[in-house]
Parts: sequence; structure tokens; C-alpha cells
Amino acid sequence: MAQLKSQLILKGILKDYFTGMKSPIAWCTSAGPAEILRALGFDVYFPENHGALLGASRAAEKYIPRAHKEGYDSEICSYLTADIGAWLMKETPLTKIYGLESIPKPDLIVFNTNQCREVAEWFNFFGREYDCPVFGIFPPRHLEEIAKADVDNVVVQLKRLITVGEEIIGKPLDPEKLSETVRLSFEGSQLWKEVLSTATHSPAPLTFFDGCILMAPIVVLRGTQICVDFYRETLAELNDFVAKNEGAVSNEQVRIYWDGMPVWGRLRFLSQLFAENQTSVVASTYCNSWVFDDFDPQKPLESMAFAYTNIFINRGENAKLEMMKNIMETFKVDGAVFHNSKTCFNNANSRFGLPKRVNEATGIDTVSFDGDLVDLRFFSDGQTRTKLETFIEQLKFKK
Amino acid sequence: MIDSYLGIDLGSSYTKFVVTDDSGGLVFNNVIPTLSRNKDMFKNQFEDISNMFSIKKICTTGYGRDTVKGDLKKTELICAAAGISALFPGNKCIIDIGGEDIKIIESGPGGEVINFYMNDKCSAGTGTFITEIADKAELEIGEMSELAKRSSGSNIINSFCTVFAKSEILGWKFNNIPIEEISKGIYLSIVSRLRKLPVKTNIPVILCGGVIAYHPYLQELLSEEFSVDVTIAPNPQYMVALGASILAMKYEA
Repeated sequence: MAQLKSQLILKGILKDYFTGMKSPIAWCTSAGPAEILRALGFDVYFPENHGALLGASRAAEKYIPRAHKEGYDSEICSYLTADIGAWLMKETPLTKIYGLESIPKPDLIVFNTNQCREVAEWFNFFGREYDCPVFGIFPPRHLEEIAKADVDNVVVQLKRLITVGEEIIGKPLDPEKLSETVRLSFEGSQLWKEVLSTATHSPAPLTFFDGCILMAPIVVLRGTQICVDFYRETLAELNDFVAKNEGAVSNEQVRIYWDGMPVWGRLRFLSQLFAENQTSVVASTYCNSWVFDDFDPQKPLESMAFAYTNIFINRGENAKLEMMKNIMETFKVDGAVFHNSKTCFNNANSRFGLPKRVNEATGIDTVSFDGDLVDLRFFSDGQTRTKLETFIEQLKFKK
Repeated sequence: MIDSYLGIDLGSSYTKFVVTDDSGGLVFNNVIPTLSRNKDMFKNQFEDISNMFSIKKICTTGYGRDTVKGDLKKTELICAAAGISALFPGNKCIIDIGGEDIKIIESGPGGEVINFYMNDKCSAGTGTFITEIADKAELEIGEMSELAKRSSGSNIINSFCTVFAKSEILGWKFNNIPIEEISKGIYLSIVSRLRKLPVKTNIPVILCGGVIAYHPYLQELLSEEFSVDVTIAPNPQYMVALGASILAMKYEA
């Protein structure tokens, strides 16, 4: 399939986002309470997006060793080590791409440990570097069920964040503005869900690898009209492909579910590998992580507290299994690939026997491969190719 | 000349050539080092085969399968299943110990891969591991099996890391551990590596790959470990290339 028009539009959107960013600026984790920050009047910057950029641009290998030298271990989050290393070397790919002198200077740094504790260490590093206030939200973790008490716990923390933010901004939060931002987040997220759902069609008009690019606005522009408009256009474009029965992979024979992080520095390699083997990666835990069905403008804080605690990565393995089963069924997949990302303990789901339980529950074959989100020293092209090609052949045998 | 089919298995250490006739019977096999500095070796071997046989189709496999142009390319796991299935019909579990990896393949009667396992980046327990450790222990590869058989020891190299395992062997040498016991210790570390892999023992277990060709004593140790008679495939080093030539024969382009 030719490059989507939406991907070209996205380039312009991201350029405007980065070059237009002005103080007051808040940093936020990718599944953090961006709606509150936006409603308070902050422009919001997401260091994970920068980490992915360092991985995708292959700049990370230069920066990671610098972070090791500073005492950050080689087996902790490589978003963190790449990002801290780049900071210590006073470089960023944003200079070359958007002409920015450096990453945006924060007035407030906010993280949510719903995804991992590493974000706390990462963001606290920058709090010390910039002498900037850091606010952490610590929700209950690894939940099988989410009780009202769990939500209440997070609501209290969100209220504290509002107080901190109001002091920095110098004016109170406008409840209408918060409600409107949550509404936009909900709308954007539902459109993102529809975009991903076009891949329920066979042949799928987009793959996981396209999703990894197209997901940028739902992360960095969640809660804005720009995000909503972008996904509306993208959806229309993808629906055209569905109507024409045109797939992202020609002659799609096998459909795959991807669990875990992308290998940012090998998106093209992996995308081509699957395409060469007539295989579409049609669904993923990762891209679905920004589908929030629970945002409610009438109850902004409660619904945010629930939605951000409800995310896949924050759930127990029984809940994760159920979520995966639903997606696998909806997208009619033949097999599941688990990326055992060396430095992302919290989003490597093959380490506690989940692939076996997925197989037992669904009959769907699984395979795991070693790699990493950013640090390519943990990834082997040859071994991965052999493993994935054999797996695809195994699935073809069984069809 | 009868129609023949060529399978080339470009492994991490050696490149294996197998030619089969139009009924899948092996008519030629040979091995040369992979990535030899003498690039002519591959070219000469290829030309010799082309002169001797009427090659209709070629299938390449192994780590270097993309580097040689053939009619089709398949992974070494698919080819191992095809090669072994030509000789052992029925369901079976294949253990292929190669230069840099270990593969466990559960295969159906027709060479279908039902399930498989392979290690990722670490090469502990593979041919390269043995070669490196044996070198440090001043052991000849060819004598290891005979020496190990004579040992009643049960000491095992604990380290999975080849570099640390070499240091461990150095310690054994300082402690005057007999060479027989060192040989067996190296094999026991391979057995220990395989112990944690999903080997199915309720179906025939077949060994293939370069390591078993040069270290037949492993068969005895693995039979003991799994409490079943494990079988070494004939020409174990050539099973993957054989599978490749059979797949070339079946290939319809």
C-alpha cells in the first residue's frame, strides 16, 4: 500500500505541535492526566514520545552509554537511558527535525506510575536538572478488578495535582474547560479506536506498524480538536481502502496480534518481514492502550481516574488475558507474537506464562522473541527473522 | 542426467550442500566453512555440483539463506522438519543443536511445524560454546566423546555465559580436574541447557545438527536425562540441507 495521506498530514501536525510549544509547559507521561494540564493552560510535552523518537531515529545507541556512565543500569527502561543520555550530551533530534534548540523546558513535571515505576525515576531526574516541581500519581497497581476505593484514591491525587497546577499557573482551574478537554479526549480516543478497528476487515488497511506512526496525536495531542480532526480524516481514508478491499499487505494470508512494545529502531525491518510473508499484524496491546472508553465529561475526575487506572499495563494478568482474548477474537487473528522487551519489564507480558494461557484459552499459537523498545543491543535481526518466519509458516501449515 | 535438487544450508559455522534425486534420495553431500576467507570455496563447490548434476531447483536455508539466490528460501527449522520427516514419518520432536543456537521442533508426519522453540541471542549450549570451552581446556573436539565416556564425574559448568564458562574451566585446570571429567562437564552443561527447554518425550526424539555429528556421547546423556531412547538422525549435520533439497523438489513456481 502506498503511504497514507494521513501520515503526511501528521508530519505537519507534529511540526506545529513542537514548534508552537510555549511556556507554561508541563511534562506528562503518555497515559498521564494530560486533560487536567491542558485545562489549566499548560502546553503538554511527553518525554516517552521523545524516547520513541530517539529509538526510531537510531540516535539512542549514541546516548544510552552516557546514561550508564551516570549510574543508570543497562537493563532499565531504554526510553529513560536514551533520554537522559541525550540530555547529558545536550542533544536532541528535535533540533534537526524542527529546529528546536533543546527539549521544551518544563514548569511542572507530572507522571503516573500506572505504567511503571521507571517513569518516577526518569521524571525526578529532570526535576533535579531543571529545579522544577515534580508531581507523581501513584494509582493501585496490577489490579484484576477496579473498586470504587481504587478510583477514589486516584481522584484525591488528581485533586492535589490541580492545586499544585493552579499555584504555578496563578489561577483556578475552569471546570468547564476540564469537562470540554475530557470530551475532546473521549472523542479523539473513540475515533482512534475506529481507526484501529478498520483492521478487523480482511485484508487489513493498516498494520500495527502504521499504527505506531499514526498514534502520535492520541498521545501528544489528546484532549485537543486537532487530534479529533486528524483521526476523522484518517478514518475516512482507511474506510476508502476497506471499501476498495485494498490491504496494507498484498495477498494477506495470516493475521497476527502483537503484544508488548514496538522495536522502534526496527519498525521498517519488521514491517517488511511480515509483508514479505503475506502477514498483517492487525492488532496490538500497545496501540489499543490509548483507547479510553470511560472518559465522561460529566464526571471528568472520576472518569479520568478510572480510565487511567483501567489501562492494560496496570492490570493483573487475569484481566490482561481477558482483554487480549477480546481483541484477538474481534480482529480474527491466527497467531500472537510477544515482544519480550529486555528493558521494559512492565510491558513484556511473556515472562509469567501468559502466552501459554492465551494459547490454552483461545487455541491461538504464540511465539515470543527477545528485543527492546529502543536499545538494539538486545535485538538480533537474524534470530528474529528466523523465529518469525518459522512461526508464520507454522500458522500457514495449520490454516 | 536425472533431475536433481539442491539444498544449501548456510549455517553460522558451516555451509552444507545436499543434492537429492527426483525421488528425494540423497545423492551428494558436502560441507565447507561458512564465510571462509577463500570465497572461491563456495563458488567451486557450486560449480562442481552444477557440472555433476542437472539441478532443477535450489532452496537456501540457514542464517545466510538471504545471501545466495535460489528458487526459494526457508528457515532452518522448516527444513529440519522436512529433512527429518523424510526419514522418520510420524510425529516427532527434533532437537537440532547448531553452531549458535538450539532448536526444538515438534513436527508432524509431513514435515509440518506444529510448535517450536529456539534460543535468542545467547549461544550457550551450542557448537560455538563447546568449541570455545574445549579450546580453553586444550581438548580436541574429536576426542571429547571418548574421553567423557570414561568419566564417572558429575561436575557441571554452571555459567551460561561462554566467557565466564571459560574462566570456570580455567579454575578446573588449576584444580587438576582430569581431562575426562572436563569433557563430561562440558556435555553436562549442554544437557542442563536442554533440560529447561520444551522437549516432548511422548513422541520419538530425534537429534540432528552439527554438534551431535561430532559429539555422539550426548545421545547417551540425553537419553538418560529424558528417560527415553533418543535417536541420532543419519548424517545429522545434513538434515537441514536435505530438507531444503526436498522442499526444492516439491516447490512449484
